[in-house]
Amino acid sequence: MRANGCDPEKMPQLWARDLTLRYPGASKPALAGLSLEVNRGEIFGLLGPNGAGKSTAIGVLCTLLTADTGEVEIRALNLRTQKKKVRSLIGLVPQDIALYPSLTIRENLSYFGTLHGLKGESLRQRVDECLALTGLEQHARRRIQTCSGGIKRRANLAAGIVHRPELLFLDEPTVGIDAQSRHMILCNLQELKRSGMTMIYTTHYMEEAQQLCARIAIMDQGQMIAQGEPEHLMAVQGCSDLQELFLHLTGRSLRD
Amino acid sequence: MLKLLATFKKDLLLLWRDRIGLLVLFLMPLVLVLVVSLVQNNVLQATGQSRIEVLFVDEDQGELGRQVLEIMEASQGLQLLTSHAGNILGAETAQALVASGTYQFGIVLPPGISAQFERDTRRQVGALFGFGSVQVDSVAVEAQIQLLFDPAVQGVFRTAVTSSLQYALLGLETAQKGKLLQQALSTQNLGGIPPPDAAQAQAPAQLLRINAEAAGDPARALRPDAVQQNVPAWALFGMFFIAVPLAGALLRERQEGTLRRLLILPVSYWVLLAGKLSAYVSVCLLQFGLMLLAGRYVLPRFGTPVLEVGAHPLAVVVLVLCVALAACGYGLMLGTLARSYEQASMFGAVSVVIGAALGGVMVPVYVMPEAMQMLSHISPLAWGLNGFVELFVRGGNLHDIGGNVAALLGFFGITVLIALGAFKYHSRHGG
Repeated sequence: MRANGCDPEKMPQLWARDLTLRYPGASKPALAGLSLEVNRGEIFGLLGPNGAGKSTAIGVLCTLLTADTGEVEIRALNLRTQKKKVRSLIGLVPQDIALYPSLTIRENLSYFGTLHGLKGESLRQRVDECLALTGLEQHARRRIQTCSGGIKRRANLAAGIVHRPELLFLDEPTVGIDAQSRHMILCNLQELKRSGMTMIYTTHYMEEAQQLCARIAIMDQGQMIAQGEPEHLMAVQGCSDLQELFLHLTGRSLRD
Repeated sequence: MLKLLATFKKDLLLLWRDRIGLLVLFLMPLVLVLVVSLVQNNVLQATGQSRIEVLFVDEDQGELGRQVLEIMEASQGLQLLTSHAGNILGAETAQALVASGTYQFGIVLPPGISAQFERDTRRQVGALFGFGSVQVDSVAVEAQIQLLFDPAVQGVFRTAVTSSLQYALLGLETAQKGKLLQQALSTQNLGGIPPPDAAQAQAPAQLLRINAEAAGDPARALRPDAVQQNVPAWALFGMFFIAVPLAGALLRERQEGTLRRLLILPVSYWVLLAGKLSAYVSVCLLQFGLMLLAGRYVLPRFGTPVLEVGAHPLAVVVLVLCVALAACGYGLMLGTLARSYEQASMFGAVSVVIGAALGGVMVPVYVMPEAMQMLSHISPLAWGLNGFVELFVRGGNLHDIGGNVAALLGFFGITVLIALGAFKYHSRHGG
């Protein structure tokens, strides 16, 4: 564990060391000694082929799963011993549209906001802000089940930030939507970054990662195989873009 | 508390917006209560509570027919119909109506039956006293009254009508023989035997009488009828069906990813679970309330008795709450153990029907084979139904249903523990 005497403002927003996790009955570990640090206010890209362990890593880092070994601290709070405090600091935008289909967008946001301890005027105000940020004001009274894929994705993002988390986990938040909606979401994320929010972002779209992330990590078979600024990693490996770097490091064989 | 209330409100809203699900939850038990109570009310009437219609054809038009009609109608078990569609019934018409199933029973008295009856009883009594030239082998020629029955009618009803007819005939035969015997005795001028009229006046109509009454405290017992038994039974069945939508809601949260979002909130999962359970338990209570209203105000409009809930409303509330908890606990367990909505809905629905059958909702437990009666003890629906029968039929109180309440709460506790175990297992496996 890191020394607790350090100034939390200067410490990494997230610090993880030697995380291992093997699902019961699995032949290989899903995480095999994963270590990473994410700085305050940055968008950190977590990349990797299918089955590399990205979702498991996100699961451990956002308290959904417990690692067999290793340590995680978020804002200097230990994940094992201060789970509830950690949970009040983090937000999650899952890959699925994790909203109640028969509730309206506003009802969904209000519900998740209430569970985060918001109430009354502050809840209403915060819901309005999130609707405005994601451009959903005119759709607020629509039920999720009647919305288009792009609106659902934006509502999914809004539900993840309704409580203003300091650290936001985004698990492929732009899957299956058109270019306009994707552009809107990427703009939203840039704006959240400017407001000081730290984000850990997983995606299979390399151009998104290159556009958004100050630093990236590439995972394969539960391990980190590269970590750093995209330009630096490309230069070191002699690759012209992130796609080429990704294939160079993880190979071209299918991972089905 | 605010978080629990928010979850309670959210789940009620989700249920409210699932109109088809609501219809199944509220309309299905309501229709079941109405249909089954009305059908069984008729069955109970048929088995003796009220009147079953029997065609009565008197081709003799004598004294015997008049007396049979009088006695059988007085028994209150049967209603004898002597005409159909405005016409006096004949033997052929009665035969056709019963054969077609329009009516289930018919009684035909052939021509001359009264005279034959009079003659035969005189012969029997005369033979005893050696009157006239009566030969022993000519005594007691049995009168041939025809009892028609629909072949689709079950044996128990046939026995009931046959017994009523035999009872009437036996009474007439005894009275006739008694009358003739008295005449014979007075003719022979035997000392000490009073004249017929005086003897008739002193003797009771029936020497050995039956007084039928419900066992137990007569001050507490309520009326045992189809409504008293079916309304709580089918309401219970409907309440346990809550397990299907509850399991579905849990599975949808798991499959659609909402659960992942919920689990990283700074809220105990117990709070979320309590909010959800409160919403579904409220729906169960509402279901039961609706069934009670149907029993009190809707069913009587179709001619059934009014539902009475006994003298201990607190005991009813406690029992309904325990049934609701048991049903919701079962749904919780189902929702965490099942891998898909299809699994949960199929298994949930079938298991509730099996539980209802075993629990005596469809057929009373006491008419089941011994092995099934033993099995019925494991059905939570049996615990609930026994409690309701205790309160609604036997007039019991909270103390009397203590065992049922404990069993239902125990079931709730066990199902919640299993659900939590399964939930932890899924979490560990990343499911």
